[in-house]
This record gives sequence, structure tokens and C-alpha cells, in this order.
Amino acid sequence: MSIEVENLRKVFQVREGSRGLGGSLRGLIRPQRREVVAVDGLSFSIAAGERVAFVGPNGAGKSTTIKMLTGILHPTSGSIRVLGLEPSRERKQLAYKVGTVFGQRTQLWYHLPARDTFDLLRYVYDLDGDTYARRRDELVEMFAIGDLISKPVRQLSLGERMRCEIVASLLPAPSVLFLDEPTIGLDVTAKATLRDLIHQLSVRDGSTVLLTSHDTGDMERVCDRVIVINHGAPLLDEPVAELRTHYIRRKVVTLMTADATVEVDLPGVTTTSHVPHRTVLEVDVEQTPVEAVVQAAMRATRLRDLTVEDPPMEEIVQAIYAQAGSKP
Amino acid sequence: MKYWAILGIAARQALAARGGLLGRLLFFWALMTIFSQLWIAVGPEYAVNYTWYLGITELVALGVPQIYIGIEQDVRRGDIAYRIGRPISYVGSKIVEGAGEFAVRFAVLATFGMAGTWLLCGQLPAEPWSLAFAIPLAFMAGLLMLILQALIGLSAFWLQDAAPVYWIVQKLLFIFGGLMIPLSVYPGWLHDIADATPFSAMLYGCGRLVLDFDPALAVDTAWRLAAWAVLLLGLLILVYRRSLTALTVNGG
Repeated sequence: MSIEVENLRKVFQVREGSRGLGGSLRGLIRPQRREVVAVDGLSFSIAAGERVAFVGPNGAGKSTTIKMLTGILHPTSGSIRVLGLEPSRERKQLAYKVGTVFGQRTQLWYHLPARDTFDLLRYVYDLDGDTYARRRDELVEMFAIGDLISKPVRQLSLGERMRCEIVASLLPAPSVLFLDEPTIGLDVTAKATLRDLIHQLSVRDGSTVLLTSHDTGDMERVCDRVIVINHGAPLLDEPVAELRTHYIRRKVVTLMTADATVEVDLPGVTTTSHVPHRTVLEVDVEQTPVEAVVQAAMRATRLRDLTVEDPPMEEIVQAIYAQAGSKP
Repeated sequence: MKYWAILGIAARQALAARGGLLGRLLFFWALMTIFSQLWIAVGPEYAVNYTWYLGITELVALGVPQIYIGIEQDVRRGDIAYRIGRPISYVGSKIVEGAGEFAVRFAVLATFGMAGTWLLCGQLPAEPWSLAFAIPLAFMAGLLMLILQALIGLSAFWLQDAAPVYWIVQKLLFIFGGLMIPLSVYPGWLHDIADATPFSAMLYGCGRLVLDFDPALAVDTAWRLAAWAVLLLGLLILVYRRSLTALTVNGG
């Protein structure tokens, strides 16, 4: 097993603000604290080479769990083994074996080309020269960043920078890759490219991926299994394909059209908003596939642009709750 | 080797930010011009020596990057949690990054800034060899300031905002270090207080060599800087360990 988590619990002590000047002064002398349970009785295991999405709404305990898995936070109780190591005690040894990508947190040097950061990481991770050069060249080719790594990082777009960030995290050839919101802020094309690359690389290297994201697309395109948590407790653990069948039934299709309006009269398709030349449809994919909706729209008018979005994670969690509630 | 690599990349980053280097050099020249004219107006007999003195003290005051800001931001935004997950000391790498940037700034100021000071004064200090001691000691003083700044940055764990602490320490450095006026001019009691702080060795200890050169004074300053470095490093290790405990137990 790559990762084994058993009955994990994390409780934070949070200082409570007091009302008024008197309360503030009392707070200075004797601060009031309350306990916040961030993770509550979480257990799961992940085999080597598995790609697992770790999802849930804001405050669900995803990032806290990832921090405990990397040794940044110590659990209040329960046990964790990552690649046979106990992260809270063996953080430094673990750091050589795991890669981390935290969206919008950079490790690239802003005024310098990404290549310089890669060269630095060679020393940080004690890689020998040949191994480093081989690995770097492979990743540079795979992520198609040959033209980018000689430009100062400040001149790169967010999508280009994220590709360089991920290459930086993959240079030490980590056995486990933790990705925390890796596509946050990226445009649709950059997201798709990055998801494909992460998936391909994990398959090629046999590396384990644990991904947290609010974006349902990240989960669907990168991972094979999903663990949904809420309020720090596990809610669901099943293959992504099953989650898709059970809960991701709805897609949001936005059509930008040459004509002011477009009518798509198909079962399970409803128009949720409309302004001239822009129509938003909600599609129940169990009744009508997205493909059929697009074809119908193209027959009716000329399409200038089109986007297909998944329902937000919060909605999926609500659906899971609703289903759990309806079960006997 | 890791830290040498960090030193190298930080120096390259500082060289890449040419605008900042040039601005700092122009400010150094402007400051030296104003004060050299001021000293000429107040006491022409002191003007040359005091201008050279200011040149040395400003090497430290203007050359040291404000690494406390980066540490404070890492603490406040929570980025420190992610940065400690690397096989390298967070605070050590921050100091070395600062040292790399400082080395570039210092080289520029010590070369072109000092050349400008020479032009303004029209002559070298009375004992030109004093510069060969004062400039390396000023570099040592800058490294000590980086340790002090790392401590200030970590104070954000408890205070959230480290800027007021830096502001106070910086003013103490200017006053007890004798940034513009040598401590020998201060009343005896104030000079004694200043000598009990690290600031006296950091500025006056280096600058006084161009006023009244004596190799024994250079050795004394070097010892005092080294002693303060050991003391502040010890304190930094303690504070860093406490910060890490706060971070790993309660998320900072």
C-alpha cells in the first residue's frame, strides 16, 4: 500500500474573539479557545499506482488531511503510513519520496527561467547529474515546455507556469504525488492539457496520485477512484465511473449563437438562462447525451462558441447526502 | 551543496532585477551627496571622514534585503506549511536566499557606491587600508542583520504583523548603531547602552575603522559580530522550533 490511514482525527484549538473593548482586554489576559474538529475518524488505504480524488466542499477537511499525509500537521489521534513512513516523525525522509503541487503556490523563482529552479531542485533533492538531466529532459518533452523553460517565469501565462510547477514537483520522481487544486484559475484548455499530462505520467511511472479539487472535471479526467468527505468524515468511497453514473447526471451547456435565440427541444434539456446570443441549458445526460444537444443546436443555428461544465462539487455532495438519506 | 545552490540562484535573481539594483545605487549616491554637503556646511574638517563613515554604515543599512517580509507573508498566508515539506530547512533557506541577494547588492554598492563616495570626497579615507577591513566587516554585519530579520519574520506566528517589530528594530539600529553620527560623539552613558546591543558592532564597529584605523578595532568588531551571530542564531533555532511546534500541532 502507498497510503494507509486509520481512524484519523485532527482537532484544532481556535481562539475565540470576545465582544467589546472589555472582552478584547480579557482575551489578551485569558484567551478563550474552542475546539474545531477538522478531520473525524477518517480511514482509507490507497494502493501503489492508484489515482484517487479526495473531494468535498470547503471546510470538509481535505487540505488538513493532505497536510497530515505530508507531515506538515500532526494528527490528534489515529495513524498514517505513507510509503511505509510515519509523516509526522519522518517528514524529511518522506519529502524525498513525495511530490506536492499546491495550486497558486509557486516554487518557481519569479525573475528567472524555470530551468534555474529545476537546476536548484537537483541539489535540494540530492539527485545525481545524469539522473536529473534525463528526468528533466523527459518531463520537458512530455509537458511540451521546451520553449518556456528559458523564459523568465514572470513572462509565462498561468497555464504555462502550472505546467512548469508540475514538472518541478515531478523532477525527484516521487512515488506519491499530492495535488491540491492543481487546475485552480486555469482556462478550459490549460485545465484539459494539465489533467491529461498528470494522468499519462502517473500511468507511465506507476506513481500514486491523491488529488483534491473543487472541480469535478479534475476528478473525472485524472482519477479512477473517489473519496468524498464532509465535515472531516468519510461520506463515500467508490470508483469514479460509479460516482459519474450515480451522481453526475447533469451537465451545464452554454451556447453562444449567431442567432439571438436557439430552441433545443429534447427530453431532459431545460433552458436555465437566456440573453440574446447566449443560452444556458441544463442537460440530464441520462435522458439525452450532450452530443445530441450540441447537434440539435447546430441544426438550429450557427454556433460561435460552446462550453460544457460539470455540476459544482457542492451539488454532488448534496446529491450524495440526499441519496444516503433516502436509503433505509 | 543545497545551500550553495540556493545562494547562487538568489544571487542570479537579484542580478535579474536590475531596476531595483540601479534604484538602490542611485539612492545611495543621492544620500551620500546630501550628507557630504551637510558635513561640509557643518564642519569641513570632519566632512571627508564622516562621509566615508556614512558610506560604510549605509552599505549595511541599504544593502540588506528585507527577508522578514517574505517570512511574515509565508506565516500569514499559511505558505510556510507547504514550504516546510521540503528536504531543506525553511528558515535556513530563507537566510541563505537573503545572503545571495545581499551579496549582489553589497557588491554593487561596495564598488560603484564607494566609487561615488570617493568622487564626492575627492580623496580616500586618511588610512585607505581601513576600507579593506571595514567593507568585509560590513558584509558580516549584513549577515547578522539577516539573522535578526528571520527572528522578526517568525514573530508573525504570535503577532500576525511583523512590520511594527521591524520598524522598531530598524530605528534602534539607526540610533544605537550610529548610522549617521559615530557613537564616539554620543554621551558616554548612551554610548555604553549602544555597546550592549548588536547594533553598535553592526554599524559603528565597521564605520569607525575609516575614522581612526587600528587593526585591533577591526578584530574587536569581528569578535563582537561573531558573538552576536552565535547568540542570535541560538535564539533563532529556539524560536523556529517553537514556531514549528505551533504549526504542526495547530496549523500555525
